[in-house]
Amino acid sequence: MFEWTEEQNMLREAVRKFVETEIAPNINELEHGDTPPYDTLRKMYKTFGMDAMARAGFEARIKREKEGPAATSERRSGGGDAGAGFMLIPIIELCRYCPGMVTAMGVSVGLAASAIMSKGTIAQKERWGVDLLTLDKIGSWAITEPGSGSDAFGSMKSTARRDGDEYVLNGSKTFITNGPYADTIVFICKLDEGNDPKDRKVLTFVLDSGMPGLEQSKPLRKMGLHSSPTGELFLSDVRVGRDRLLGETEEQPSREGAKETFSMERTGVAAMALGIVERCLQESVAYAKDRVQFGHPIGEFQLIQMKLAKMEVARLNIQNLVFRQIEMGAAGKGMSLAEASACKLYAAQACMEVALEAVQLFGGNGYMAEFGVEQLCRDAKVLQIYAGTDEIQISQIARSLLS
Amino acid sequence: MNVVVCVKQIPDPAQPGQLDPGSKTLKREGKLILDDSDAYGVEMALLLAEKAGGGEVTLVSMAPNGETSGLRTALAMGAAKAILVSDDSLAGTDALGTAKVLAAAIKRAEPDLIVAATESTDGYTGTLPVQVAEILGLPSVTFAKSVDVADGKVKVNRQTEAGYDEVECPLPALITVTAGVVEPRYPSFKGIMAARSKPVEQLTVADLGLSADQVGAAGARQEVVDVTAAEERKAGEVITDEGDAHERVVAFLDQLKLI
Ligand SMILES: Cc1cc2nc3c(=O)[nH]c(=O)nc-3n(C[C@@H](O)[C@H](O)[C@H](O)COP(=O)(O)OP(=O)(O)OC[C@H]3O[C@@H](n4cnc5c(N)ncnc54)[C@H](O)[C@@H]3O)c2cc1C
Ligand SMILES: Cc1cc2nc3c(=O)[nH]c(=O)nc-3n(C[C@H](O)[C@H](O)[C@H](O)COP(=O)(O)OP(=O)(O)OC[C@H]3O[C@@H](n4cnc5c(N)ncnc54)[C@H](O)[C@@H]3O)c2cc1C
Repeated sequence: MFEWTEEQNMLREAVRKFVETEIAPNINELEHGDTPPYDTLRKMYKTFGMDAMARAGFEARIKREKEGPAATSERRSGGGDAGAGFMLIPIIELCRYCPGMVTAMGVSVGLAASAIMSKGTIAQKERWGVDLLTLDKIGSWAITEPGSGSDAFGSMKSTARRDGDEYVLNGSKTFITNGPYADTIVFICKLDEGNDPKDRKVLTFVLDSGMPGLEQSKPLRKMGLHSSPTGELFLSDVRVGRDRLLGETEEQPSREGAKETFSMERTGVAAMALGIVERCLQESVAYAKDRVQFGHPIGEFQLIQMKLAKMEVARLNIQNLVFRQIEMGAAGKGMSLAEASACKLYAAQACMEVALEAVQLFGGNGYMAEFGVEQLCRDAKVLQIYAGTDEIQISQIARSLLS
Repeated sequence: MNVVVCVKQIPDPAQPGQLDPGSKTLKREGKLILDDSDAYGVEMALLLAEKAGGGEVTLVSMAPNGETSGLRTALAMGAAKAILVSDDSLAGTDALGTAKVLAAAIKRAEPDLIVAATESTDGYTGTLPVQVAEILGLPSVTFAKSVDVADGKVKVNRQTEAGYDEVECPLPALITVTAGVVEPRYPSFKGIMAARSKPVEQLTVADLGLSADQVGAAGARQEVVDVTAAEERKAGEVITDEGDAHERVVAFLDQLKLI
């Protein structure tokens, strides 16, 4: 694949029109008001039939799973179809104006729902998965804690203790996307059997908002990504049955599950970066032609030309990474964690550089909220932090090279 | 109920258009898109067919180079199929020639109702639909701001300067709709995927039983003799408020006979 297909372009145009009609004019309210992003996201899902498609996909998948493992593995391989890449297009288009929206959507559908869909029992998928996939309900995926971020498992303090047939959960999580509003929370913790914390099993539970002992904080104030609510979760003696233990077994390889999730969230970052870079470049080219200093449009100055050229190089490279993901998806192949890390590292860094250069190219206007690049620049920074920091991506790539 | 929608595929109005210096008409070589004006007609037709509980929406278009991009957009919205007339001999066809071609193509679909926009975005002569109706010997109702079909009749609120007229006419008929008559739907993911496999019948002038001298530059009764650049807009007048700005604004509007 070296260019978007006719169908993909049609979808891009349609989603762009939706974003420019529904989101761009309301960006101030979404970024700085009290309006959570969910109703707008639901409207997008409904408008493009994404909710009905998610439901139909879910039902077909559950039917196959009930038929047995043979049917499941057979149909899941391959899968190249006209819709390849369709799910990446809303990510790209939303990010042109509002990367926060994508974070809120991506965590709910991409992380919380995916965790349940890949490791849950059929009953758990039916109970929580389908409503998350259709965005009827909003999900959080909670691993980070005040004392454990990059070293997610090593320093994890949240615990589950057995109590008869039940578990009692304790701990606190922070920086949790959708935390303040989530209906469904995927909570990752360690099974405390009185043994050394580093030997403890990692378990995943599914919680509902409003359960006794579970507290969801107000949104935290942050540098950017304002349309994605981020918060803390506090659990004190939350009692849950085995039906909330993901997979309903303690033998579930939860570390592996979480790593699959890391790989998935990393691949989404290239599409996000592409949206931000495309818009920064487009705005910068227009501004460079329009803004006159020293009697010339600033686009005639070589130092400005260099910025534009570098932005274009980044755009092409990131777009190629996205094309590769689409091709791999169509061929039924997934990226290794190291490759996903490499893509994420490059896309995040290139995106940050482009957004900073866009602010610079706009001069004083670049620093003003009105011109849009200021917001994208603040938003872009998070791509180097969440889903694994740049430093963590680097060490993962190196580990894979040296192993 | 079978509905035909005339859809014009035009050069993207967001890109600066270019005139062919020879024919002095718009260059149409690149990708063409669905004229926004026609998205309203497509939506209206889909709603009417859905309400009638059966029947199909067929698109009819004349465009150069076998162009189907704009048609695919309308198919993704939900139209069932399309007829495209594309033929080198159509170069230089004027509005009447276009009407002859479209009328011949429309006839093949045997519609109960034909929907077009009031005027296109690029040519905007606003003459094509009524010429099609005349050639087909059908009644036409223009400037529809709302449309309903019942008991073999189409009922239209027809926009006028003062408000609207309520007009009714028997089917088959042709109507033209104004922008804003309905809100065009977005094509859904599924609609876009399905559009690829919907039939687009491509016809030549000969297929329609027309002769080459009825169409193209040869058949044109109009000729563009000259093209001049539009006059640059004059700078506006800035009124600085020194307490009497409102009076000066009123006087200015009064002088233009706007109030
Ligand atoms: C002298 C002359 C030479 C021309 N030469 C060429 C040429 O070489 N190549 C060329 O491509 N065009 C050419 N045109 C443009 C011509 O073919 C127009 O499509 C036609 O005149 C319709 O005019 P309009 O857009 O003003 O229609 P309007 O009357 O403004 O259109 C009203 C509605 O009619 C329908 N409609 C109009 N045109 C079409 C169409 N083509 N297919 C389907 N539905 C339609 C749409 O619903 C549209 O909204 C020429 C026009 C003139 C006057
Ligand atoms: C907006 C936002 C949304 C988020 N959403 C979620 C969510 O939904 N769910 C969730 O669980 N988490 C979420 N997070 C948390 C995010 O994943 C973590 O912030 C991230 O993994 C980094 O962890 P930390 O903040 O504890 O930083 P630390 O791990 O404390 O890192 C501090 C610095 O040290 C560096 N560092 C750490 N270890 C090494 C090493 N071995 N070698 C070199 N350098 C190192 C880091 O790269 C960083 O520069 C979110 C964060 C943000 C900002």
